[in-house]
Amino acid sequence: MKPFKVALPGSIEQASSLQQSFDVPFIAGGTDLLARIKEYITTPEMVVDLKRIGGLGEITSTDHGVRIGALVTMNDVATNLQVREGFPALAETIGNAATPQIRNMATIGGNICQKPRCWYLRHEGYTCAKNGGSGCWAREGENEFHAIFGNQVCAMTQPSNVAPVLVAYGASIEIQSNAESLEKREVPADQFFLTPEQDPTREVALKPGEIVTAVLLPAKNRTEKWSYTEAREKQSFDWAQASVTVLYQRGGRRGDHRVVLGAVSPAPLRRADLEQIIAAGDLDADCIQALQKKIGEGANPLSQNGYKVPMLRGLMAKAIRKLNGEKKEG
Amino acid sequence: MSQQSTTRTLRVNGEPQQVAFAVHHSLLEVLREELGLTGTKHGCELGECGTCTVLIDGKPVLSCLELAAECEGRSIETVEGMMQGNELHPLQSCFADLGAAQCGYCTPGILLAAQALLAENDSPTRDQIVEALSGNLCRCTGYHKILEAIEWAAAQLRGDDQYQPPDSAIYGDPLPGKQAADV
Repeated sequence: MKPFKVALPGSIEQASSLQQSFDVPFIAGGTDLLARIKEYITTPEMVVDLKRIGGLGEITSTDHGVRIGALVTMNDVATNLQVREGFPALAETIGNAATPQIRNMATIGGNICQKPRCWYLRHEGYTCAKNGGSGCWAREGENEFHAIFGNQVCAMTQPSNVAPVLVAYGASIEIQSNAESLEKREVPADQFFLTPEQDPTREVALKPGEIVTAVLLPAKNRTEKWSYTEAREKQSFDWAQASVTVLYQRGGRRGDHRVVLGAVSPAPLRRADLEQIIAAGDLDADCIQALQKKIGEGANPLSQNGYKVPMLRGLMAKAIRKLNGEKKEG
Repeated sequence: MSQQSTTRTLRVNGEPQQVAFAVHHSLLEVLREELGLTGTKHGCELGECGTCTVLIDGKPVLSCLELAAECEGRSIETVEGMMQGNELHPLQSCFADLGAAQCGYCTPGILLAAQALLAENDSPTRDQIVEALSGNLCRCTGYHKILEAIEWAAAQLRGDDQYQPPDSAIYGDPLPGKQAADV
């Protein structure tokens, strides 16, 4: 590992001013960044540690919903009563992610800012559209775990398990910096995660100096009937190959459903066409069949990841059965 | 580039110690190289294997991905701190008695993950133990004896004298035609 310096600022303003460019990364839980530094994928001169900044480590109730400070660990999010009662799909997806040790270290702010798992991006010998070169090695190379939707520019998948769930709940990401023009802003989750078409070098809508300070879950979108299903190769320390999040009658509103696919595209993929199928009928076998028929539409599988289309069909069926409270797996 | 050094007070196994180290060093490196506590093992160094598990403020974390500079003021527990006086911790004695280790490289991390589980839950189910150990890889044992040793240690810790591990856990599976006790 190349030696680096550690800055320990005590305020958001100080931390922000230390990051003039992305060459100086922020560190919170460190589970992604330190592993990348050890593998020489990132070789910063200095990292800016955010853990000394006060006020970012609590989960609080507000008039609008639940505010999760960016430094709250994944485990503390998943075991929090307000999260479990109001936004259970979030607790469920975190329970599937990584390992208990990592969930005790990794923060929710860091989770949504982690770098893609693309093995070309995580190999010091390759450059691509994401890191100063051009093109995408995975499109013509080894692409078993890559995107089947929206993969023309870059075939990465968004690695965060919570990203599609945050999009489904209509969460917002609170961002702060010390620049006057930027100040504090809230970005809806569906605009926070970027597609390569928007900017191949960034996965999230942060500019240098901007810090995620909280994840905001709106109380109006608490949903009783929900399901989260995902498939992965290993049960532990692995990333999803595909996931399906369904919120049925979101916030108790008839006709307001959400279907968001994860790990099959560079950013979480909301599927309004599937939501319409759910709105149009009952949650029965016909509905499952119609969803399965539709879910692969628009997919553009690469040489090794065509399996993700039938995988999504299976997960979709499982998701609807779970909504109905059926125990049967499949 | 010259290394940036720092001196911090780290509280390891209840004992505060001043220690100087390069600021980019992980807790694992500082424990092993500065403090001589080599019970905590180097494994994958990337967060995948769990053999470097220590407890920070009672929670199992990976010392390979924790900057030591971040650990000031927190309670750090390693496998060296598990013994109570001259007595092995029940987890340690049960692992030894059941042969729940082969090469032993994963054992310190598993002992600490198990200790954290038993501190929260004195009668965990098999599934709960498996979940608590899901961040620790063992490539020798196949985990069976590890799970049995943790169940036995849990029973000892909660004072359940009636609990006995199955014979097969002590003697291994019986040979065909023989009872475990005859082997």
